[in-house]
Amino acid sequence: MMEIDAPDAQQQTQIQVKFVTRDPEIAVAAAPILVPTNLKRFGLSQVVNHLLSSDKSIPFDFLVDGAYLRSTLDAYIIQNGLSSETTLTLEYVRAAIPPKFLTSFQHDDWVSSVAASTHNKHNNDPVVLSGSYDGIARVWNLSGQVLSEGAGHTAGIKSVKWLDAESFVTSSLDRTLRIWRYTADGTVAASIKPAAEYIGHKSTVESLAVNQQSKQILSASADGTVGLWSALPKQSPAAPEIELPIRSKKRKMAANGPKVPQYGSLAMLKGHQGPVSGVAFAPNDATVGYSVSWDNMIKTWDLTTGVNVTTKKAKNPILSLATMKELNLLACGTSARHIILNDPRENAEAVSTATLRGHTNAVVGLSANPANEWELASAGHDGTVRVWDVRASESGALFTINREGEGLNGNEKVFDVEWSKIGIVSGGEDKRVQINATPKAGEQA
Amino acid sequence: NIDPESLLPKLPSPEQLRPFPTVTATVYRGHVGRVRSLNVDPTGVWLATGGDDGTVRVWEIISGREVWKIKLADEAVNSVKWRPTQDTSIIAAAAGDDMYLIVPPSIFDPEREIESRKVLEHGYGTAANATKDPLKKEPPGKWTKPEEKLAAEGVVVQVTVKMTIKHLAWHRRGDYVASVSPEGQNRAVAIHQLSRHTSQTPFRKSKGLIQRVEFHPSRPILFVATQRYIRSYDLAKQELIKTLMPGARWISSFDIHNGGDNIIVGAFDKRLLWHDMELSTKPYRTLRYHEKAIRAVKYHTGMPLFVSASDDGTIQVFHGMVYADMMENPLIVPLKILRGHKVTQSLGVLDVDWHPTHFQQHHPQLQTMKPMSQ
Ligand SMILES: [Mg+2]
Repeated sequence: MMEIDAPDAQQQTQIQVKFVTRDPEIAVAAAPILVPTNLKRFGLSQVVNHLLSSDKSIPFDFLVDGAYLRSTLDAYIIQNGLSSETTLTLEYVRAAIPPKFLTSFQHDDWVSSVAASTHNKHNNDPVVLSGSYDGIARVWNLSGQVLSEGAGHTAGIKSVKWLDAESFVTSSLDRTLRIWRYTADGTVAASIKPAAEYIGHKSTVESLAVNQQSKQILSASADGTVGLWSALPKQSPAAPEIELPIRSKKRKMAANGPKVPQYGSLAMLKGHQGPVSGVAFAPNDATVGYSVSWDNMIKTWDLTTGVNVTTKKAKNPILSLATMKELNLLACGTSARHIILNDPRENAEAVSTATLRGHTNAVVGLSANPANEWELASAGHDGTVRVWDVRASESGALFTINREGEGLNGNEKVFDVEWSKIGIVSGGEDKRVQINATPKAGEQA
Repeated sequence: NIDPESLLPKLPSPEQLRPFPTVTATVYRGHVGRVRSLNVDPTGVWLATGGDDGTVRVWEIISGREVWKIKLADEAVNSVKWRPTQDTSIIAAAAGDDMYLIVPPSIFDPEREIESRKVLEHGYGTAANATKDPLKKEPPGKWTKPEEKLAAEGVVVQVTVKMTIKHLAWHRRGDYVASVSPEGQNRAVAIHQLSRHTSQTPFRKSKGLIQRVEFHPSRPILFVATQRYIRSYDLAKQELIKTLMPGARWISSFDIHNGGDNIIVGAFDKRLLWHDMELSTKPYRTLRYHEKAIRAVKYHTGMPLFVSASDDGTIQVFHGMVYADMMENPLIVPLKILRGHKVTQSLGVLDVDWHPTHFQQHHPQLQTMKPMSQ
């Protein structure tokens, strides 16, 4: 056992602590050591850096019992009625850096959905796709220029997702899905052309998920069904014949503009008893899908057979869904203002392994941090995006991102969030796409 | 010695009776002036509202987004009610002396839109409408095709009665809709039949100013509220069944519990009354919690909850459990006062409706209206 010298080591009570981490790059020896009980996060961070004897000092945060240590060890021991004989296990993590406002793109109407593309084909410049209630999908560069627009939906867009560098899919209040070809020739010369229209839902299409390998799409509809679609024309069935109301024929033709080939679904998965709000592919298995609904249910689907494998019932209507790949968890945002973490495996009995609380209104968008398996961003009708570390489920949000810009009252709902390489991208009632940069944890901003 | 406290029935605490609505989730902005009426559609996806600006609007409930509106008249839209069946999307709206039957275009699945229009247009071919006997008295409702502009915007049928319609009530199967024109004397209540495009007035004599009517949730019974009484009528036998005496000076609204044996009544004299019709024609409970007139009352159809909305600007939420056991009386517990609406020119919350399914299990969600918006 080693001891750390503190200036007042002689007078100061000490406690035995065990430092653990889930990150092998920053692991220290497992043996417990004595530290002064008056240390807080900063002091403990110095201790760990000392143990690591690295040249660069890494700021750490400390987790104890599912929450961040924000007091001295002393205060923690007293608060929890622990004896000073106890060995405290402190999990340390690279301290997260607050997201920094980078830019925002002004739209004419509410922004319902966002998706960043960091594919190399865009001349190495990342672009952001936005879907708006004005029915138009737009691709933006990070300077805030619209590179191209896709118009064709006859009502507001509710969801957008990239299929690959050169195509994306949108869904709408008009009950359809559309696939678009995106071509970037130069910096600003780009084009968006409609490639296909998908018909089959009987109500608004709220949300989309894509599997880039299988080229399949899942859709969540207010009609209570989950749609499974192929992005490949050859694999897509013909569109169902639909009789149009007499009064709307002319309008529909005009709105459609150029004739776009229409297709039907591979399957319409039935079982939910209310609007479906979120869908996802299992991160490691393109034949497994998940869906969540206003009916409180989390369903797992075998996409090969269309069979509903498991159903779990949460306590509240679920309005959003994200997969946390490495953790094998589903994050579900609820109308009751919190996020539950669900283990979708059949043998997992509890619906929720943890609950993240802090939003003051419905949680309608979720996205995991692609660079940190423990982190999650959520979009709320309370006008905020919040950043969470699921290891610290008891600590509330790590950070709260507010809307930036002129003329806002602070209550503008955020409808969607995506955490990508370029940062946290969100869109909302403020008619803006907002991007907040998220420096990698442990690095200084 | 007996502690008198121990004789009082123990009420469960509100905490034990969760979930119930506690906070504002969404504000629907767009109406100019008062919002008079609102109603959630049977699928739970859309909200219809009507107001002093003469418009009916349809909103996406989850986002608060207005997706459609129509200007019906220069007068206030006093009542909007979705046809309560799952197969169609039809709005009945009252403005002035007219009831408009509307299928908002393009919002719904084309099949559903076609089916909805079919239900409304079917009656144009019926005999009842085809022959016009010049000697016959003027019918209680005149069914016409609306003028071209309204027709293009989705109004399929217009039914004109004698006096301003203040309230509409659908029969659960959706073939009948009743209109209430309080100033209409013996024509104050008209029952309109969609499939035949005909209107009837069930009452020959007026027994006071009729305020509201509602159909029994499962039997052919119509409840009629005058200022002081609520009477139930057997529609098949055309006879009075019962007269309830809430003891209020001026009834504003009432609602019938799913089971059909209990009624809540709201009154302009601030009182909220619960009638158990099995027990008595007098109220089972009188609740005096509002500071101003009650404008609307509503049971939740899936949970033991009810609400009252008032000119004091509040909505009060109650637990209201009706037991299957006939011997057990209903349990009523005040749960929550919801605030947020502004009181403008002495008017507060004018109408209230529950979302039918969204928050049914654990988090009931109220849709309420505000009296004014700019
Ligand atoms: Mg209900």
